[in-house]
Amino acid sequence: MSRWTEEYFIEKGLLLTAISSIIIIGLIIIFIFKEGIPAIQSYGFFNFVFGMNWSPSEGQYGVFPMIIGSLGITLLSLLMAVPLGLLCAIFLAEVAPARMRKVLNPTLQTLAGIPSVVYGFFGLILLVPFMRAQFGGTGFSMFTASVILTVMILPIIVSVSEDALRSIPHEYKEASLALGATHWQTIKNVIFPAAIPGVITSVILGMGRAVGETLAIIMVAGNVVQIPGSIFDPVRALTSNIAIEMGYATGIHYNALFATGIVLIFMIIVLLIIANYLHYKKKVTIGGGYL
Amino acid sequence: MEYIIEVEDLNVYFDELHILKNINIKIPKNAVTSLIGPSGCGKSTFIRTLNRMNDLISTFRRDGTVLLDGENIYNPKVDVVNLRKRVGMVFQKPNPFPKSIFDNVAYGLRVHGINDKDVLAQKVEEALKSAALWEEVENILEKSAMGLSGGQQQRLCIARTIAVEPDVILMDEPCSALDPISTTKIEDLIHKLKKDYTIIIVTHNMQQATRVSKYTAFFLHGEIVESGKTDQIFLEPTDNRTEDYITGRFG
Amino acid sequence: MKLKYGLGVLIILIIIIALYGTINTESQYERIDIAGSTSVQPVAEALAQEYMKTYPKVKINVQGGGSGLGIRSVSQDIIAIGTSSKNLKTNEKGSLQEYVIGKEGIVIAVNVNNPGDDLSKEQLKDVFSGKIKNWNELGGPNAPIDVVVREDGSGTRKAFEDMVMGKNTKVRSDAIVQTSTESVKLTVKQDPNAIGYISLVHMSSDVKVVKLNGISPSLETIVDGSYKLQRPFMFLTNGEPKGAVKEFIDWCLSPEGQKIVVKEKVVPVTT
Repeated sequence: MSRWTEEYFIEKGLLLTAISSIIIIGLIIIFIFKEGIPAIQSYGFFNFVFGMNWSPSEGQYGVFPMIIGSLGITLLSLLMAVPLGLLCAIFLAEVAPARMRKVLNPTLQTLAGIPSVVYGFFGLILLVPFMRAQFGGTGFSMFTASVILTVMILPIIVSVSEDALRSIPHEYKEASLALGATHWQTIKNVIFPAAIPGVITSVILGMGRAVGETLAIIMVAGNVVQIPGSIFDPVRALTSNIAIEMGYATGIHYNALFATGIVLIFMIIVLLIIANYLHYKKKVTIGGGYL
Repeated sequence: MEYIIEVEDLNVYFDELHILKNINIKIPKNAVTSLIGPSGCGKSTFIRTLNRMNDLISTFRRDGTVLLDGENIYNPKVDVVNLRKRVGMVFQKPNPFPKSIFDNVAYGLRVHGINDKDVLAQKVEEALKSAALWEEVENILEKSAMGLSGGQQQRLCIARTIAVEPDVILMDEPCSALDPISTTKIEDLIHKLKKDYTIIIVTHNMQQATRVSKYTAFFLHGEIVESGKTDQIFLEPTDNRTEDYITGRFG
Repeated sequence: MKLKYGLGVLIILIIIIALYGTINTESQYERIDIAGSTSVQPVAEALAQEYMKTYPKVKINVQGGGSGLGIRSVSQDIIAIGTSSKNLKTNEKGSLQEYVIGKEGIVIAVNVNNPGDDLSKEQLKDVFSGKIKNWNELGGPNAPIDVVVREDGSGTRKAFEDMVMGKNTKVRSDAIVQTSTESVKLTVKQDPNAIGYISLVHMSSDVKVVKLNGISPSLETIVDGSYKLQRPFMFLTNGEPKGAVKEFIDWCLSPEGQKIVVKEKVVPVTT
């Protein structure tokens, strides 16, 4: 085979793989829309998205409390995981001696690999009673779910942010230190700001996992369809709703669950647009852009 | 003559590698001293020892003394941060921060606690003027420093260094990444600065050494073979090796 | 270069043949997939295990997922036998055949530290509807009642609501929802203020039994009908069962099968 032909086939082969992944995602989205649109059509878009009652046995399909549930859990967990993850990443990238890094990095990777059902179980057995003892109520709550999620997305945020911090050229660090800055001043004023695009990427990845997490949340969030009065009230996430009821839903209930999937997709798209916009803005301002 | 830096019997090791051997040299104040010699003979390591930048390398070890204004800079009680304020450094490859031009020059000042907007503005202007860059950037101070040309960036780095008013400026081959015109501009700048600052410049370019410096030290394989007035080194070298290097037989 | 290619292809071929070999040997077995009620699940698993000892050529797979899942999956021929712990609604029956393999009780459970142990059906209804919100209204300590229920498709939930709540009263909307009878038990075990319903089969000393109108749930009280909260355990098939499936169901209804049913604390149908 001539070298040109080989190149051609490799190129087209790679193109095919890339296109097929796009096609697969496209097909999934089309299927979800196809199954979900009938529910929205017959029940009404505003009734569906802004309805307060989810009660299939009575023909009620309002998902608004669950939108709040999903958003609340995701944002609350990001609020806890991002600062914690960044501090951890800064520690690993700049402060920790090599021996400590050798222990901590594999530990974090193991944490990332633990299946969500294990986290859910751990949450149910240990975290829920703890929450009940500390904060009252049943222990099942939006906050409990956020805590479990924080532990689950922490490894992602730490490892991607750590990579971003480490990729900052050594020259910047040297220039800063040569001017008489302390190590911490250098981290705060030079290294970290330059790594922000990479940090935002890590947040996007963590957010993606948080929004999609289903099983662990089902076990600890309480699954009550309501708008929570406080973060210690139980909630139901959009993902949990689909998982709990998909097994036996028929007819318009079935379509309504797919419509829930549509709402979920839109929610993710909106969150991603916001995050990518921040990524873009930070990249342009800094002018360097790493990751 | 006043010496601002005095180095006595300095030996530098990285693990088992003996990089600098028995260095003895006195650096005169408010003058330009150039360090010449072939690649890899320890010149950069030497100047990095003067502002303790080698501390960043975990395998670094040294013995001997380095005195700045009579004080041993390797005394454990010495505040390294303050030392680096007094002994600034300009690197071979221009390395402005990915920030605005103003923020680059103001960086050192802010780090040392100066936050007053007017004071900063004034000092930044002074530094940029001293670095012969002010006219070119006075209207674009808010723009990113990454948009400047190589020569401008290097002058910016010099401005950044002199903004904190150091006593000594170390320059590690500052022009090797620049074109001849930028090089000339920087050499003019060095002439201007030497009245107020002590400058130690590492250079591969012997013509540059003769142009800018009053004193020269010749490094070879980690040792100082010969040091003294530039005129004397270049016109009447006392050591054969110096003569060989200068006349281009090696290096 | 060429050698590496060839070696790679050879290894892939070997893997494919090996897989095919193992999968092929699988098809010498008869396979029966069972899914549905989490209450029925332990009984179905016990029956399957015992059956497979005598008839090793049959492989029986038992899963949970809730009665609703079982009913729907078997109607769509996804599985061979669907299990349910509640009676079918008319619109669910379709072409399904029902085989009652036992009767079982729904147990009301509270935390072991809960001082009470007896409720009337009225009180139970009021607790679950939210009319009674605090334990002190029942003579207990001053603490809010944490009601735990199952998800919508659960047979246990449906049976409970039919028998206790009736057509017109709804369970309180802020009740915590858990997705299996085991996790309901776990929740009640950990929360001193919790109350929930689980199947008698899953009952253990982790939680405390609540007597209904003074009657304790047991095999005897279910058989003589004095314990009112009872429901059938059913195997469902889509149309007439054939072959291995029919043999298995017949065995479950035979004295040998029913012996296992009794061992699992479920009331047998053919005594």
